[in-house]
Amino acid sequence: MTDQADLERGYRRLLAWYPPEFRRENGQEILAVLMAGARDGQRRPSLAESADLIRSGGWMRLRPSVPRSARTVQAAVGLMYAGAAVSAVGLIIGLALIIVYIQVAVSGQFLGRSLAAQKPFVITVCLVFGLVVVSLWLWMARANGQGRNWARILSTVLFVVATLQLRGAFTQPVSHAGFGVTVLYYGGVVPFVAAWVVGAAAVWLLWRPASTAFFKPPGFTQALHQAHMAELDRFRSSRARSQRQV
Amino acid sequence: MILTALANGSQHGYGIIIDVQEISGGRVRLRAGTLYGALDRLRADELIGVDREEVVEGRLRRYYRLTPAGTRRLAAEAARLQAAAAAALTRLNLAGGMAT
Repeated sequence: MTDQADLERGYRRLLAWYPPEFRRENGQEILAVLMAGARDGQRRPSLAESADLIRSGGWMRLRPSVPRSARTVQAAVGLMYAGAAVSAVGLIIGLALIIVYIQVAVSGQFLGRSLAAQKPFVITVCLVFGLVVVSLWLWMARANGQGRNWARILSTVLFVVATLQLRGAFTQPVSHAGFGVTVLYYGGVVPFVAAWVVGAAAVWLLWRPASTAFFKPPGFTQALHQAHMAELDRFRSSRARSQRQV
Repeated sequence: MILTALANGSQHGYGIIIDVQEISGGRVRLRAGTLYGALDRLRADELIGVDREEVVEGRLRRYYRLTPAGTRRLAAEAARLQAAAAAALTRLNLAGGMAT
């Protein structure tokens, strides 16, 4: 009996790898299956059992909860993770470029010492901004994967903001700063352009009709249907009235 | 495999494991984590549904069954496998015929 209690405790510990809502829904059942499948006198979960539970539980926490039917959403979520990766690379390149730029500018004396004093501040701002951007990508990927419609709208808004920013980057005059600086500048812009392209593709996918079905809760579709029907009724009755008048 | 296990009526989790083991001639022994991962996915895709819930020895026991979409998917999969197997057998027979 104590063997069984030990074993059950061991299994329960492993079930902690699953997301809480899945555990609430299926935990008891999985435990029953595990106990039914246990060997006589088994006191601890076997290595293979542990590996299996950790793997599937961990995977459930990581993967987006998209049914396979909504492939467009799945693709958009994948793109957003790619966007996070591109932004992270962009952040590293950007930081490297800024450090090089400040070094060159200070040693060349054409921007003076004040810039050297600002160096830690500039780097911190860039780092924080970059990390915020990466987290936004990850957050949006997760929320969209869970079918939150606000996430779809917020992603689109963020994309528009990014578009405006990118446009600003190109209209800024940099040519007077010399060829080397211009090259550096555009070298830093390339990852942003790449991230923007990824974002454009993701937003496009999010608004495909196939995706829309995934984002709309069934209740909403029903309400929409009812609204359509009511409108149709109004239209019919008004037409009937006008026909009577004729 | 899981769909096949559910083809002739609803089953609970442990029943599916036993059934899959039998269908495969003992070669496939599903683990609980794998099984519930698959069940979760199949439910999300609406290929299976919960038939009924019972409480056995103080534990919830859920019975799963195929949905119409799941039945269609299983039939299509089976037909595909059958066609592939038939093609393989035909070619094997052809090759055998040429050899003799």
